[in-house]
Amino acid sequence: MKTLKERKSAGYDYLKKITAVDYATHLEVVYIIYNTTTHAQEVVKAKLPAERPSIDTAIGVYRAADWYEREMSEMFGIRIKGRAAKRLLLEEWNGVGAPLKKDFTWGKEDYDKVL
Amino acid sequence: MTIMDINVGTVHPSTHGVLRLLVDVDGDTIKKVEPHIGFLHRGVEKLMETRMYMQNQSYTEKLDYVAPLCWDDLYVSAVEQALGIAVKERAQYLRVILLEFQRVASHLLWLGTFANDNGQFFTMYMWAFRERAKILKLMQDVSGGRMFYLNLRLGGFKSNIPEDFRRRAYELTDYLEEKILGYPDLLDENPVFMERTKGVGILTQSSAIGHGVSGPVLRASGVEEDTRKTSPYYVYGKMKFVVPTGFHGDAFDRYRVRYEEMLQSIRVIRQALDGMPETGDLLGLPIKLIGPVAKPDTVIVQRELPRGEGLIYMIPDKQKPYRISLRSPAFINLAALPEMAEGQKFADLFPILGSLDIILGELDR
Repeated sequence: MKTLKERKSAGYDYLKKITAVDYATHLEVVYIIYNTTTHAQEVVKAKLPAERPSIDTAIGVYRAADWYEREMSEMFGIRIKGRAAKRLLLEEWNGVGAPLKKDFTWGKEDYDKVL
Repeated sequence: MTIMDINVGTVHPSTHGVLRLLVDVDGDTIKKVEPHIGFLHRGVEKLMETRMYMQNQSYTEKLDYVAPLCWDDLYVSAVEQALGIAVKERAQYLRVILLEFQRVASHLLWLGTFANDNGQFFTMYMWAFRERAKILKLMQDVSGGRMFYLNLRLGGFKSNIPEDFRRRAYELTDYLEEKILGYPDLLDENPVFMERTKGVGILTQSSAIGHGVSGPVLRASGVEEDTRKTSPYYVYGKMKFVVPTGFHGDAFDRYRVRYEEMLQSIRVIRQALDGMPETGDLLGLPIKLIGPVAKPDTVIVQRELPRGEGLIYMIPDKQKPYRISLRSPAFINLAALPEMAEGQKFADLFPILGSLDIILGELDR
């Protein structure tokens, strides 16, 4: 978060995407930021432990972080610190855990749980 | 003062797909809008991790069914970059031509439905669809499919183009330009359309950047930002065109920006047709079920889609992506809707929503 604040004051005023990657041993959160005057793009990465991952919210720095963080938290089970919990964004009616993590499995019998 | 909740959706004629808006109104004034999305969520990113590279092509095409070629191109470019495959020169020109035709077709569909929602009943709609049908016919003769093309292959195309393609494409650009230049008579001089869109859903320059919106929505707020200009791909660097921008950031400016973009696209198509070599190889690598082995690097590719900037962040693995993340421009454009709609009249919600040009299939992924 400190890096993001520094980059923002260095002119990177536009947040393009927040996403995450599950490497089984650890998780990686990726921020793609952009400078609208010099058209330069940067990638900021944060490494999180596989057990109980959590990261500070970036809403204070970039307003665009709102929906991206909600999506990421829902898809990877990452807890976002410093913001109110909200309903699930994409799986509002039947959240199934953290589907984009590599250990997530989905079988025939799982449909009965959500439908 | 009583606050009333109104549920809009999940099906409304001005949305492509399924969207629910929960609107708090005080009398006729909107106090709060909460978009509920995810009705079309089918886990495309997860599905793509389980399929071979070229099997995934059909998933990316179906994300945005109004401009499938643009998403197809974005994905194929990401794979090309991962495998280090260069696109053949003639194929680069042809891709630019087809992508720009696709952009015009997408904007025409938007313009027709948007005008239909806002007081220019059916004439504009029929006109826009008449022009769009001609574009789709040309695309069909090139690729074999009317809506979904699947004719991009790594480094080129699936098949050669028809012999009379160049002549027909020139004729089509002349036809389109003639027709499109006639549209403002129906819209810019239509008091109902003007009244419904001018000064509605204003997004200032700073909040447009803050919200991270892209494409025509960002440009209508006065930010000159277009991936085709800032980091040119294919032969866009050689093309002369301007990036239209708006001033007020309202629904009318978004219409003007898309309208000007159509004319600029025609300009680009003509230059690309002039520059395209008469002969040369177009064909790309054939699909093999066991794909080629990729170098395990991170791939970031961005392309200017009709709805805004699309981006793919991909960690390639040997034969399929280890992780693929899609930036959907409609997703983040919709996130800015609450700010635009608050304080407006309830009836203005639809010009605002329509001016964002969202496609729910792409948004929910």
